Amino acid sequence: MRIPLLLVSAAVAASAQPVTFLRDVAPILNKTGCTSGPCHGAAKGKNGFKLSLRGYDPQFDYEALLYDLSGRRFNRAEPGRSLMLAKPTQSVAHGGGLRFDKKSPYYKTIYNWIAQGVPYGDPAKDNVNALEVTPAEVAMTGAGGTAQVKVTARFADGQTRDVTSEATVESNTPDVAKVDAAAKVSGERVGEATLLVRYQGKYSTIPVTILNPKPGFAWKQLPQNNYIDQHIDAKLQKLKIQPSPAADDAAFLRRVSLDLTGQLPSPDEIRAFVADPAPAKLKRDRKIDKLIASPAFTDHWTVKWSDLLQSSRKFLGEKGAYGFREWIRESLAANKPYDKMVRELLTSRGSTYDDPAGNYFRATRDAKPTMEKTTQVFLGVRMVCAQCHDHPFEKWTQNQYYQMSAFFSAVGLRPGYEVGEEILYDQRAEYEMKHPKDSRVVAPEFLIASLTPVKIPAGPQRRDALADWLVSKQNPFFAKAVANRIWSYFFGKGIIDPVDDIRASNPPVNPALLEALTKDLTDHNFDLQHLMRTIVRSRTYQASFQTNEWNALDADNFSHAMPRRLNAEPLMDAVAAAAGARPKFPDVPEETNASQVLDPHVGAEGFLDLFGRPTRESACECERRTDFSLPQALNLVNGKTISDAVADPKGRVAKNVLAGKTEAAMVEDLYLASLSRLPTKAEAEYGIKYLSGGPRALRAQDLLWALLNSKGFLYSY
Amino acid sequence: MRCVLFLLCGTIGPLAAAPSFHKDIQPLLQKHCQGCHQPASKAANLDVTTYEAFAKGGQRGPAFVAGQPEQSLTVRYLLGETKPRMPLAAAALPDAEIALFREWIRDGAKDDTPAAVTETRATVYTQPPVITALQFSPDGQTLAVSGNREILVHTADGKKLLQRLAGRAERILSVAFSADGKLLIAGGGTPAQFGEVQVWDVAAAKLLRSARLTNDTVFGASLAPDASKIAVGCADNTVHVFETATGKELYKIGNHENWVLATVFGVDSKRFVSASGDRAAKLIDANSGAFLENVNLLRGELNAIARHPKKDVVVLGGAERYPYIYLMDRPRNMKIADDTTLVRRLERQDGAITALGWSPDGARIAVASQSAAVNVYDPESGEKKASCTGHSAGIYTVAFSPDSTKLATGGFDGKVRVYATGDCKLLHSFVPVPLSAGAQ
Repeated sequence: MRIPLLLVSAAVAASAQPVTFLRDVAPILNKTGCTSGPCHGAAKGKNGFKLSLRGYDPQFDYEALLYDLSGRRFNRAEPGRSLMLAKPTQSVAHGGGLRFDKKSPYYKTIYNWIAQGVPYGDPAKDNVNALEVTPAEVAMTGAGGTAQVKVTARFADGQTRDVTSEATVESNTPDVAKVDAAAKVSGERVGEATLLVRYQGKYSTIPVTILNPKPGFAWKQLPQNNYIDQHIDAKLQKLKIQPSPAADDAAFLRRVSLDLTGQLPSPDEIRAFVADPAPAKLKRDRKIDKLIASPAFTDHWTVKWSDLLQSSRKFLGEKGAYGFREWIRESLAANKPYDKMVRELLTSRGSTYDDPAGNYFRATRDAKPTMEKTTQVFLGVRMVCAQCHDHPFEKWTQNQYYQMSAFFSAVGLRPGYEVGEEILYDQRAEYEMKHPKDSRVVAPEFLIASLTPVKIPAGPQRRDALADWLVSKQNPFFAKAVANRIWSYFFGKGIIDPVDDIRASNPPVNPALLEALTKDLTDHNFDLQHLMRTIVRSRTYQASFQTNEWNALDADNFSHAMPRRLNAEPLMDAVAAAAGARPKFPDVPEETNASQVLDPHVGAEGFLDLFGRPTRESACECERRTDFSLPQALNLVNGKTISDAVADPKGRVAKNVLAGKTEAAMVEDLYLASLSRLPTKAEAEYGIKYLSGGPRALRAQDLLWALLNSKGFLYSY
Repeated sequence: MRCVLFLLCGTIGPLAAAPSFHKDIQPLLQKHCQGCHQPASKAANLDVTTYEAFAKGGQRGPAFVAGQPEQSLTVRYLLGETKPRMPLAAAALPDAEIALFREWIRDGAKDDTPAAVTETRATVYTQPPVITALQFSPDGQTLAVSGNREILVHTADGKKLLQRLAGRAERILSVAFSADGKLLIAGGGTPAQFGEVQVWDVAAAKLLRSARLTNDTVFGASLAPDASKIAVGCADNTVHVFETATGKELYKIGNHENWVLATVFGVDSKRFVSASGDRAAKLIDANSGAFLENVNLLRGELNAIARHPKKDVVVLGGAERYPYIYLMDRPRNMKIADDTTLVRRLERQDGAITALGWSPDGARIAVASQSAAVNVYDPESGEKKASCTGHSAGIYTVAFSPDSTKLATGGFDGKVRVYATGDCKLLHSFVPVPLSAGAQ
């Protein structure tokens, strides 16, 4: 830390050395918090003085200093009396408190800058072109180690400067690796973290690994089913994490049925699968193909895509929502290539009754929200911050927000001839996108220049060009985003997580794996079923949730299965399947199950909403809640859903009793139907004893009620 | 208790005399306390920026009891004996610093602040300061220009510096002559410290009267055409009105919701308009201070206003970059979003509008902005007649000569430029302050 300070003082001593706003002063305003969100970076500024948030717009900040109230913040006649020195040193009252004192190098820099006449500097010389960060990665054996990060800025004129003191270094997982104000990293516990380094709009990341210091690790190679296992094993071996072996047949069948179809396997199906003498890999692969080909698979994935595409009668009307849902269903049932599906969503025209894909535009309606949804859902990129200011953790600028929105600015909706019909067209009268700062027209431009250049036509018909660019195999985000998203549905967590927040500062936990999945998907022409099949065939997916001494703490690298609470619809259907009693929804056909309902309007405020069904108000994956709350527990214990289901006169318990089954057969059936496995010997003995000890029907209901309230039922594992 | 105190004193090293308010206590208050306890925010109604205010205390009573540190609120708060411990949400003061407060109070809590040193020494300039205000005298012979803690009076061609009127206010943000040219009034102050209105006897170069007000500079000071009153806008959202003859404050009004940056009187001196960052231009009865009505439809934040020489018509502008010409009077009762008094909107400028001028013959409006050019318009047609260029950066102030033939401008680059109004030909250009050797 001594070196940068010395450098700064040297610069001050030679007062002839030019000081510019861009190179010298703006970083001080950022570092000392002037431009922070609660202070002058706030949308309305503070006490009449507004700067851009975290200094993303140095030109704006410079002009604020120059022109606000006739340049009141600097005094070239008496630099030391300048308000911008008096305030941060508390020589006059400052609501933001003391930022630095008169002896600090920051004071001298600003003083010299004012004494030199407050020059802006030359972007061609003073802009930061790149950050050089050392070390490139930090690895420690065990907690308690430390490492010093050094940040060097390279300016446009080729000069470099140690900016460790002015750069912001933050850890995304401070309980693994902590960073102090002097950019010193300390290892807190075994695990991984990423450091994000920011300086004047430039970003860099440093991966940190804290290895398990325990001696005696010896890698035991487990069988690898495909490339997924190779990439997972490569990283686990490096981290000294021994993965769990594949789960047994019953556990696999339960997990894969829930993940692919949202439904529990039936007792007969479980018995048959466990008894099948074929080699484990072969019979599992066969089962996977069978599940993917089932109608329940289409139902299950229709729910997922209907969530993301906001299929809801609130926006589309009932007829519109049915049309959109059918379009999604048919696309999935036919395994329409994902790029084709997205292209249809983005380019449809005319009546949304004739071409339901156009409903995509009806939930968001305006260019800007449609652009935000499009980038978030299909590219995993969140642009929303950039509406008001450049993205604080990414390279996306405010200009790009409007350039991307311009692709949709000509899209209009007008009423059709039928009730509730809307016509999608591209000829809005005043269709140009305007920049909010100065109302200038912003021409459409792609977020990243494509590798295969797509020409953007003049005039309003721009959506097709956007679709060409977006779904291209060369688009570095499109295939990656969906591969990562699909992965997350099978593991409860993306390789990049959250799945719809892909940015340099949120790196993948296993980059090689994500690359390989992405390549596999594009090599197979965006065949999502192929991708899912590959994932669930892997040993990694099939791993047991039971851990060993080396992977018990791992929650990031997929070394063992992580129990996940069943989502709202699968949970409701699981209760129905286990109890043998259908749920009842108003105004829908009798045989409808929870994954077949149209939209959140059906059964609103009931069991499904309590368990986190998304309202489809936004396209964020985060709308679906998977937490476990007290009201949920109370509903399961006291609510009618389970108690009615177990006591249903046409339900599983009633049928078992009427069929005159033995206690042993009944216990086995209830375990298979709820936990998807046979009871252990002890469980069977206890169950039989309980059923024999009183009225059979009532006692069997009690047993099923208890099973449905157990973690073994509520979770997938 | 005594031995504890001694122990504490021991830790702060050789302490020959009791702590001084000026040297020891005030720096601590500045560093740790006055961010919140200051005139602008006054948490708990306490202001610690001066001895008097500190002694007066806040809503919990006097901040200290001389001679009794343990009974003094300041010490109790610093120790956390009274909650919440101060400084709020920050580390407690080191024991040695708390001991300074104790010692100072025990010793009688005396005020040793030296009498305010009034800086009247003329500033030595090594580089030109920004120009924030300028005005021609009514006879057109001289030009008054803002400096640092002074007003500089030049011949109108800038060839000769005639007078340096040095005062206390660091910044002079507005200057105005009385119609007879005898009085020069100025408004300004020192940012975040005080505002000041100055009334000068021009011939004698003598400060006749000065009024200090608020904790920040005053903006947009204007003199009524009959010279009876001076109106100034303030950073506490108020407008204060003074009697020119006595310097006595007549009243203040507080119906703006943001800093008031510009004022202008009506032709008959009976009303004035104040323009503010709250986007409103408010018409006020100059005798009573009563609010009459809003002049404009609220659009952008307002920075500047100017009036037609003979009619109650004003031009105003600010962040939105469009100058708007409005009638001060409404022919009928105002309704929400009623904009019938809008006469004309002029062209959009290249930056936020910073200053406006209306020529004494009524034929031209000058619009200055954050861009380096001043544009001149015909108010009747809205047509741009000329654009005065040459400044290296934005403009803060403009003024027409009494015969309307010349337009003086000044701003960031510190040079006064005098143009021919008709074609913006540059007539004179000069740095208004004397630069010392070694200047840039």
